[in-house]
Amino acid sequence: MDADRQLALVVRAYRTMAYLTGTVLIILCFVGIPLQVFASNLIIVKYVGTAHGMLYIIYVVVAFVMTRMVRMRVASPGTVIVLLAGTIPVLTFVVERWVSRKYIDPALAASAGRQTAPAAASR
Amino acid sequence: MSDAPLMPRWRILVTPRWICWHLFAVVAVAGMAWLGDWQFRRAMAGNTLSWAYTFEWPIFAIFGVVFWVKTVRDELHPAPAGGSQAQQITLPAGAAGRGSPGDAALAAGPDGAGPGDAGLAGAGSAGAESAGSGPADVELAEYNAYLARLSSEVRGHGRWHGLR
Repeated sequence: MDADRQLALVVRAYRTMAYLTGTVLIILCFVGIPLQVFASNLIIVKYVGTAHGMLYIIYVVVAFVMTRMVRMRVASPGTVIVLLAGTIPVLTFVVERWVSRKYIDPALAASAGRQTAPAAASR
Repeated sequence: MSDAPLMPRWRILVTPRWICWHLFAVVAVAGMAWLGDWQFRRAMAGNTLSWAYTFEWPIFAIFGVVFWVKTVRDELHPAPAGGSQAQQITLPAGAAGRGSPGDAALAAGPDGAGPGDAGLAGAGSAGAESAGSGPADVELAEYNAYLARLSSEVRGHGRWHGLR
């Protein structure tokens, strides 16, 4: 698979996992935990909590691959924030916007430029 | 340390700052392994929810090791700043007076494999057809070479490097 398709695929996987993990974490924190604390109802915490744990593992792997592909430094605050965002409610949505603007969009633009810029030269 | 000038990059990893990071990595991985063991003991004591965490913490510990290895490797082999590839590009053929702009464009893509290369070749031949005389051709050749250089500079971007 060539690099451009690979990049697009990884970006799509990262966005999917960011939104999925973020949504599940919001349900866990704003529905499950109040139910546990105020109603002693463990049902949501038990299943959604486990689901979030598993989704977060996938999120971390996908997000890490994404940070490598858009050339973010490994041990940089940006990379660490992207990886930890999956454990803090609402943060995945904010971080996804930020990382898109700062890293993903330029990387995708460079990828697209590789295919369209040479064609522009014939004009 | 008579061989110090031979391996300056390696020596970065033994500076106090980096030793602190190594220690942090060791403590973090050991901590995650310990948490996994703790969850395993809870799971064995009858807490079914702990079974999931019993497997999660070791996975995070492994990821911590991968993260550390990547960081060290990035430090030892920093990504080339487009220097080696950019130097391969011959200067615009049109600017030199001889040859078609296609030469400059093709020189940028010696592997001739990717879709970008096909585009470059097409652009080059299209430019060659209109090649005749006048400053416009020189300008076009320079522009083509500029695009070829940009294209080659970003060629390596977005590529998954694996555990290099």
